[in-house]
Amino acid sequence: MSTAATEEITLTRKDFISDQTVRWCPGCGDYSILAQMQRILPETGVPKEKTVFISGIGCSSRFPYYMNTYGIHSIHGRAPALATGLAIANPELSIWVITGDGDGLSIGGNHLLHAIRRNVNLNIVLFNNRIYGLTKGQYSPTSRPGTVTKSSPMGSVEQPLNPIAVALAAEATFVARSIDSHPQHLAAILERTAEHQGASFLEVYQNCVIFNPNEWTELSDRRNRDDSILYLEHGKHMIFGKNRDKGIRLNGFTPEVVSLDEVDLDEILVHDATSRPLASILGSMEFPDYPAAMGVIRDVRKPDYGGEMMAQVETAQAQRGAGDLNQLYLAADLWTVEEREEAEEREITPVASDLDEMPITGLDEEYIDEMEKPAEALSEFQDLLVTSTLAALEPNVPITVGKRSSLARTIRQMNRHNIGCVLVTDEEDRLIGIFTEWDVLNRVAGIVDDMAQQRISDYMTPEPLALKADLPIAQALNLMSLHGFRHLPLVDEGGSPSGIISFRDVVGYLNEALEEE
Amino acid sequence: MSLQSDLKTELVSHLAVSDFTQVVAGTPVRDTLARMRADRQVVCLVVDEDAADESGRRQLVGIFTERDVMRRVIDAAGTLDRPVDEVMTPDPITIGPDASAADALRLMDEIHVRNLPVVDEDGELMGNMTHQAIIQYLADRYPVEVLNRPLDPEQFPRKAEGG
Repeated sequence: MSTAATEEITLTRKDFISDQTVRWCPGCGDYSILAQMQRILPETGVPKEKTVFISGIGCSSRFPYYMNTYGIHSIHGRAPALATGLAIANPELSIWVITGDGDGLSIGGNHLLHAIRRNVNLNIVLFNNRIYGLTKGQYSPTSRPGTVTKSSPMGSVEQPLNPIAVALAAEATFVARSIDSHPQHLAAILERTAEHQGASFLEVYQNCVIFNPNEWTELSDRRNRDDSILYLEHGKHMIFGKNRDKGIRLNGFTPEVVSLDEVDLDEILVHDATSRPLASILGSMEFPDYPAAMGVIRDVRKPDYGGEMMAQVETAQAQRGAGDLNQLYLAADLWTVEEREEAEEREITPVASDLDEMPITGLDEEYIDEMEKPAEALSEFQDLLVTSTLAALEPNVPITVGKRSSLARTIRQMNRHNIGCVLVTDEEDRLIGIFTEWDVLNRVAGIVDDMAQQRISDYMTPEPLALKADLPIAQALNLMSLHGFRHLPLVDEGGSPSGIISFRDVVGYLNEALEEE
Repeated sequence: MSLQSDLKTELVSHLAVSDFTQVVAGTPVRDTLARMRADRQVVCLVVDEDAADESGRRQLVGIFTERDVMRRVIDAAGTLDRPVDEVMTPDPITIGPDASAADALRLMDEIHVRNLPVVDEDGELMGNMTHQAIIQYLADRYPVEVLNRPLDPEQFPRKAEGG
């Protein structure tokens, strides 16, 4: 018997990016969630063909199009129902349900509850922006009382649902919360969500930049967010604050915020993700009365629905043999419905419709108006980020080497020019790769003996992301922060290298551009 | 509000500086490289156990970066089995956790370094300040402008389509 070694394929973020045009508004928090999902999936080790994204209806529900995995953009609110069937029929799959506060808690409230209650092996991510975005700005089941929208002109009079409390009411075995504007935290919690066996429920506070842009301001402002967020870690004291000087203490059944200057550490609550009562307390702590609890609120292991059900099927089959669907069908009382003659004669008259005549452009114009209305109080700096182009950084002329260059020669060249990165080009001077000091450290030093015999094309990173010089600086910042790229090549229209920019160039430029008086 | 005024009020310890790799002095270069690869870090801080103070705190004695790999390791046969001490930069300039981010940045520019180890007043190693920490801060500080951009910058949906 031959045992052919199967080569392990290492996936990267790129493998999970689909070729579809992303149709979210620029600035939408969904981009951040998508980027972090694409970042963590390679690390979970689950192959693409075993990963499925199922969504309902709404802005967040466009998610499956943008993931290069299997996906179903399903019926409004019914994603958990489809996902339940899939999880039972094919327990090998890693199934993500992507939903929003409208899709998951309004029309799909029941499905969500029951998928959680049954502990189906799903990863449910609920994007909570507390507004209906796709239908252009009506209040949602999580909107705060008093929220003024197009459908609540005098302010909402409804009590909102608390998604964490809803999930806990269904006895969710994994409950967590994160926020789009904190990508490191979000990535870590998405990984935990993927790891948990059974129904995992993750609420992500997400910014709707068009219809509800100020909902999470206090929690997303980098300067003081740590004063508003309680980062939960199992077994650790519930301490928070930018200077870690505040804590949570229980006063009877009620949590209270205390200053660590006045209260001993042993009075401060210690997080226990296996405690059901503690989860309820954390779920009930609403910002701004309390810091918003972020992280894994509850994480316990219980048998999952698919496994339990399939065990029963196997037991039944062992006792009674394999079933026969046809026999079961024929065993029931059967009858035939006779066609009635008069039914044939009835004429179906089409309902007169003016719909075809109606202009359907109105809504889109309204949307474009919203998109194009001048942003409120954009600071000079924010303005600089989006209007100043990469050309303003006066990028260095890149050092390039041909793809047939040897490793030894390339490294000599980098040392001679005292640079950390070279670009690799083909015969027509088009950019085909990038080679950095990290590659030397990671793939060459102490590994390759005969550097003169090795071609650079076998050691470079092929097809690097490259930008054109007329793009805003924010685009480079986006790639550098998401991917950790320390160098970004610039290319001209023909794909030839025209410049290279580094972390230091960008930070230096921004730091000097608006020199204070 | 400019970047400068933000960075003046932000302390180094409030930036993403705590993710760093360290080895003890005497570790062979080969093992140091292996650790850096495993941690996916381009910088390794070198601490000395023998020179630990009364409370057992290890002292920072050097810094070893990808640049040192380029300059002192790649072409010198036999370096791999030598202790990292021989190829590191000894006694690097450090900064305190309560310095402002703006001061750290200015210092990095002045002395032309890409890494500034963060050491508190008791000599405890707390992190490594880099330009990346500033990039990360900017992304978090301006998520609408920086974080939430289409992957393909030329695309801009003119219509809100589909559910």
